[in-house]
Amino acid sequence: MSQYKIIFTGPVGAGKTTAINSISDVAPIKTDAAASDMTKNRKASTTVAMDYGVMNLAGGEKIHLYGTPGQERFDFMWDILTVGGIGLILLLDNTRADPFQDMRFFLDSFGQFIADTSVAIGVTQTDLSSKPTIDDYHGQLQLLGLKPPVFAVDAREKNDVSLLVQALLYSLDPGLTG
Amino acid sequence: MKKGSKVPLRIALYGMDDRACKTMEMYLKGPCQGIAVVTGETDADIDMIDADNVRAKEILETRRASTSNRPIILLSLQNLQIENTFFIKKPVNVAQITNVLDRIKATTPSLKVEPSHNIKTTSESPIKVETVVQPTPEKPQKVAMEVYANKPAGVKHIDNLERQKTAKHQSAMQLNEGGFTAFLGTVSTIDFDDPTHWANAHFDPKQYFLGYVLAAIKTAKQQTRVLQLNSIWKSLIVFPNTQEIWLDADDKQLRSFAGMALGAGSSSNMTLTAADTAITVNRAMDKFQDMNAFVWKVAIWTSKGRFPVGIDINQPIFLKRWPNFTRLVITPDAMRIAALLVQSPRTATEVISLLNTKPQYVFVFLSACHTLGLLGQKEPQIVETVATEQTAQITKPKQGLLSKILSKLRGA
Repeated sequence: MSQYKIIFTGPVGAGKTTAINSISDVAPIKTDAAASDMTKNRKASTTVAMDYGVMNLAGGEKIHLYGTPGQERFDFMWDILTVGGIGLILLLDNTRADPFQDMRFFLDSFGQFIADTSVAIGVTQTDLSSKPTIDDYHGQLQLLGLKPPVFAVDAREKNDVSLLVQALLYSLDPGLTG
Repeated sequence: MKKGSKVPLRIALYGMDDRACKTMEMYLKGPCQGIAVVTGETDADIDMIDADNVRAKEILETRRASTSNRPIILLSLQNLQIENTFFIKKPVNVAQITNVLDRIKATTPSLKVEPSHNIKTTSESPIKVETVVQPTPEKPQKVAMEVYANKPAGVKHIDNLERQKTAKHQSAMQLNEGGFTAFLGTVSTIDFDDPTHWANAHFDPKQYFLGYVLAAIKTAKQQTRVLQLNSIWKSLIVFPNTQEIWLDADDKQLRSFAGMALGAGSSSNMTLTAADTAITVNRAMDKFQDMNAFVWKVAIWTSKGRFPVGIDINQPIFLKRWPNFTRLVITPDAMRIAALLVQSPRTATEVISLLNTKPQYVFVFLSACHTLGLLGQKEPQIVETVATEQTAQITKPKQGLLSKILSKLRGA
């Protein structure tokens, strides 16, 4: 069976785990170990490489939801993670000092995958920090020659996350009907 | 162990949390095909440090003091140039890791021999590690580790006042077909099922409250000050700097007034005055609305399925960018229409045909986008070629996996 997936990426704290949890049909596999000391408590049974969720579709198919490790942009596996990927959801935290820099970094890191598929950008924490605005993000994207969907997203809100993923799908094919 | 068999290098990791360590372990085992394995500090051949960790400098000094002859690999977003280390720039990939490990093996005699047969301790044969700089197109900028490692986390000041403006941050309302008519109302003089009526399905925003709101916003932005629009109805306050509207009215009241064509003499009842700032700061927080979201829904209520004057439905139009749908009222097929018009210019009639959707849905969407300045127009001769090329791709709705995902997301 083909492994189809949607990849969630973004800096630490942007809401990847929360967003996956919002639309996953199963409780996402926890990825954060309780202990922070790296020299101790390396228990293989409690540590996983990335966040994971799943959407069960009609007919038995599954869509895997992968959240990339975002800790300090520790970015392994970009080159294999995207295999079988339908598209990319990029979540950006609007309270970070330079979210534009974050955006450029992830768009560049996944550049080839985005060119082959599509990306939709969700800006989180806009209720805590109203600037930069969504229009500001579009201005930056215009400089990069990109016009992806950019939405304000509360990662806890299933509707917000769902709309963002819908936009990703429609940008792949506007003719989709669901 | 047989001569020539590949024995993986042993790497100890520093400056990484459990998840990153696990990720690296899997990465070395999988994509890197077992070229190295992660081990503890005692057994390692190589030390690998995340140089972006705030304690990276301290870790490096500790490692050098403990195992001075052990090769050290630094991982960083910055281009580091630190003596006696190997550097890999993030994002890490297989080629980088393989290249560096091969160079370490080539320059470290103890690592050229199978460790199980002849392990030389670092104390018996001191090894000098050459400085190696990761090749980059530009000259690497020398960055002192402590400068980068001590870079502040950079979290901005949290705007607690913003959090109180709950109406601004509510998730979008998505209208289905039945809800559309109830939400918008109807225009009895136009038969949208008859394409010959489409050309007449227009309205002039200046004859409605929408026009005055847009004028007030434009003036407030030009003058960069808070202005109050006074009418026969309720007063509306425009905050140009924060892109907000304050209005003490619910959607039902606003919808009724928005859909009402104002008489020729209505302009005398509309005045624009400076808002009393002392009063404005005490306004109810939940009455604040995002300016774009407010204008969008007023445009929808004014449109009732028509398009605004100024749009030629037979001339190609395109979207400059996606609307922020999560904070806007989403009319039927709005996202499909947006996706199509972002990709390439189309006439309104083409959109109706290609997406097999109702003209009201297209016209109301265009009305809302036009109000926010999201629409653009292209020269016909350029667009015709593009339209011909791309029509074949989407003349038939795509079923299959993506449709199933969509159905799932929409709760079908």
